[in-house]
Amino acid sequence: MSKLGCSSRLMVILGIIVLALFLTSFVMGPLGSKFFNIQVPKNLQVSKPFVQLPSEPIFHIGGFNITNTVIASWVTILVLFLLFFSATRKMKIIPGRMQSFAEVVVEGIYNTIEGVAGEKHVRTFFPLITTIFLYVVTNALLALIPLWGTWGPIAHSAEGTVIIPFLRAANTDINLTLSIAIISFCFIEYLGFSRIGPLKYLDSFFQFSELGKAFGKLFKGDGKSFISGLAFGFINIYVGLLEILSHFIRIVSFTFRLFGNMTAGEILLGVMTFLVAFIAPVPFYGLETLVGFLQAMIFAGLTLVFGVMAVTSHHEEGAEQH
Amino acid sequence: MDAQTMKMLGAGLAGGLGMLGPGIGLGLIGLGAMGALGRNPEARGVILTNMILIGALTEAVGIYALIIAILLAMVV
Repeated sequence: MSKLGCSSRLMVILGIIVLALFLTSFVMGPLGSKFFNIQVPKNLQVSKPFVQLPSEPIFHIGGFNITNTVIASWVTILVLFLLFFSATRKMKIIPGRMQSFAEVVVEGIYNTIEGVAGEKHVRTFFPLITTIFLYVVTNALLALIPLWGTWGPIAHSAEGTVIIPFLRAANTDINLTLSIAIISFCFIEYLGFSRIGPLKYLDSFFQFSELGKAFGKLFKGDGKSFISGLAFGFINIYVGLLEILSHFIRIVSFTFRLFGNMTAGEILLGVMTFLVAFIAPVPFYGLETLVGFLQAMIFAGLTLVFGVMAVTSHHEEGAEQH
Repeated sequence: MDAQTMKMLGAGLAGGLGMLGPGIGLGLIGLGAMGALGRNPEARGVILTNMILIGALTEAVGIYALIIAILLAMVV
């Protein structure tokens, strides 16, 4: 008995079966039939992958469309709830396995946020950043399970046979990414207005205090620095308007970064499975796992960084601890 | 040229030319990060964190171009 857990004869048989499937799907698929000019029989033909960006509604609740991405996000919420519920029952000082896993996750994220935000502000940021990270990463990872995107009734449309899946990767819905982006934006602006006070927050954009200092110099009789202060004051107003615009553009960039990465990944997996059905999509599944983690980290991390920038006003920058 | 050909041409150009800028940008970020890491290997954590952050911001611009290409080729 080898160390593999089953006999090596079984491994060899499985390896031969997988290799045969790989060669068959290569030769009979779209690549092989073009290279070798084979006429593929009708029941083995695969229809071209059909890209549909808007998500398909499954049922209605009183005029409100429930799409398959909404159902997938419900499954995500259920999975996260069950995970952390089972980890926090009967907590002990020496933790069991589920509790250890939850502690690793929570402590890892807490330490990362503390590294960026400093000890004073961790408690403010921790709930929302962790929620965004865990939600996006669970959405992305669950979407790689075979049930998502493939289980559903078959419909015949103009482009050929199309599957309307019951579950679809939740991150491929622009509505979901837009809603998380709006929540991030509102959180950051609320922090800016409530922590420093609305006047000081607006002042960090436009630097009105600098303009006031320039007028003060005029009353003291220092004409030259008044002119230069006035010029810089007006430039600062223009720069402040651009910064406010960039705050709003963050919503757009958050939305399309997550949506684009996830949709491109879904299309990539679909096209690779269409070309060669076995073995070839495996490295792309690895890539998709990595991209899911990375995009969740980026979404939560960017919200954290922009929030920290909003909380520490521009005059305190020198005293920031890292 | 009919509309379908123009659409395909537009999709290819949007994707290809649009990815040029972010590709160069990401390479420059890597250049800066590797240079800083070489001079100061102890600051590895800070440098890598910031590199990934700015890499994400730059890559998003490439994703915008990809979305336009997908829209042109498959949806419009």
